[in-house]
Amino acid sequence: MSQPALAESQALYLDPAIRDWVLFPIVLVMVLVGILRHQITLLLSGSPKKPTSKAIRETKALQRGVILRTYGNNIPPTAFSSRKTILTQAYERGVYLKNPGQTNAPVNPMTDPQGMEIMMEGMKKNMAMIIPQTIIMGWINFFFSGFVLIKLPFPLTVRFKTMLQRGVETPDMDVTWVSSLSWYFLNLFGLRPIYTLLLGEDNSADGMRDMAAMSTMGVTQTGQPQDFNKLFQTEKENLQLTPHEWELDRIENRLLVKYGKRAESIGDVKKEDVTDKEKESVLEGKGKRKKGQKRD
Amino acid sequence: MHSYSTAVSTLHELRKSGERKPDLVVSLGQTLIDGGLTRKLGDEAWSVYEQIFIAALDVGRDDLAKTCLERLEKRFPDSPRVELLLGMKYEAEKKLDQALSIYEKILNEDETNMPVEKRKIALYKTMGHNQEAINALVRFLDVYYNDVEAWLELASLYLRQHLYQQAAFCLEELILLQPQNHFYHLKYAEVLYTSDNIPLALKEYCRVIELCDDYVRALYGIKLCTYKLLNASSSASSSKITGNTDSHTLSVLNELATERLLHVYSHKKCSKVIKDVVREWLQNY
Repeated sequence: MSQPALAESQALYLDPAIRDWVLFPIVLVMVLVGILRHQITLLLSGSPKKPTSKAIRETKALQRGVILRTYGNNIPPTAFSSRKTILTQAYERGVYLKNPGQTNAPVNPMTDPQGMEIMMEGMKKNMAMIIPQTIIMGWINFFFSGFVLIKLPFPLTVRFKTMLQRGVETPDMDVTWVSSLSWYFLNLFGLRPIYTLLLGEDNSADGMRDMAAMSTMGVTQTGQPQDFNKLFQTEKENLQLTPHEWELDRIENRLLVKYGKRAESIGDVKKEDVTDKEKESVLEGKGKRKKGQKRD
Repeated sequence: MHSYSTAVSTLHELRKSGERKPDLVVSLGQTLIDGGLTRKLGDEAWSVYEQIFIAALDVGRDDLAKTCLERLEKRFPDSPRVELLLGMKYEAEKKLDQALSIYEKILNEDETNMPVEKRKIALYKTMGHNQEAINALVRFLDVYYNDVEAWLELASLYLRQHLYQQAAFCLEELILLQPQNHFYHLKYAEVLYTSDNIPLALKEYCRVIELCDDYVRALYGIKLCTYKLLNASSSASSSKITGNTDSHTLSVLNELATERLLHVYSHKKCSKVIKDVVREWLQNY
């Protein structure tokens, strides 16, 4: 029961001048800065950098191995094995690498010009975010520190005190009063819908998204170039381990069964015959593989 | 007003599906441009202009093409995409060397411009430089491995030169890229048949039937393959020629193909003449 009594006893009267000269200006300045930031990022980022044809070739070559592994059963055994040999050799020698010379050098993002560029891009964006926000915060702190700007029309628990009354160190004041610095933070986090209205979807006025991206950067390491040599070596091993079971081995039988010309059971008998043969061939294949490993 | 919205949506659908239908596009585009309605389209107008331009070139409406290109050049003075269109205009006017120099200029600035590269290969084909087109395509596919169109084009170029083994390689790649597409299996089977690899061709024809019921072309293929194999096995009886399929299976397959073909021709409302021709042919094989 003490809560409403406290609120009533604290019936502060705010000067309308505070509304006109502090509350609205802060909102206006923040909106304008957001728009400015959007324009600056547009200016700074320019057109997205295109990958060179060598880089495309590198990724597509890797894809080629994956496709051969997944769908290789659809082509005849000779076609499969010749592709397998060619690709494994190419992977081993690094034919498809962007710069075939440095196969063993570890990739350093600092020396790779492309990685450098990606990092610079992130830096620029962050700068465009941090500088104006610090300036505004300084401006508010300098001129309006300790100002109480508005009263929220609904009651809140005491826990919100640190959020809503930053910069006003009064333990007894009702929580619904909002200080100038807190008003700044509320705007900082809450203006995104307004930017979307003004600048359309996918704008870069709101800095919060970048902040979120920055916090995850440590984990995923965006912009870190991949070591394709290593990927090629893994793909080579995967390819070497891929057996080939031709889809079309018993296709005539399957077709005849499909059209009801041959009963399923006869097909099964036939299948057993073939599977025995297949087992032998697989065993042979294993033997070859072992030999191959020894050679390695 | 109604015709305006349907025209725009039709053009949009055609752009999305990649169909050309130049006559339709030109007539729709003509009404749009004559009525000054392109301004209403906003940013979509530019891709509509591009579409109308290409369609106008297809049907030889040079005046309409010129209007579109002028507006596009005014809006995007340095765009390589518009320059590509200019090159296509030169191609339509048979100024092939000028077109080639434009394409090469764009590619010098940006080596990864895929549409221009493809256009250049097509231009080689128009010029009749098949070997150069093949070389350019091989280089192109070395970079863009998974481009289905390019593999298909390369296969047809090889076939023009009667290089069946190379064409078969391309078709194998196509099967790898789209294993469920029966059309590639059919083409592969036909190339194999032509290069006298009958057992493998038979298997591929069977695959086509498995993927697409009662595909007539493949049924004829099975018929021909089994006929040849049965004859070869009776005369030479070496398993090397016939592959590992036993003669009983071959004859059953042959019968199956006959039956399905007769079934197909009995269902369709085809004339008696055709039915007779088919029946006569089937008796011979």
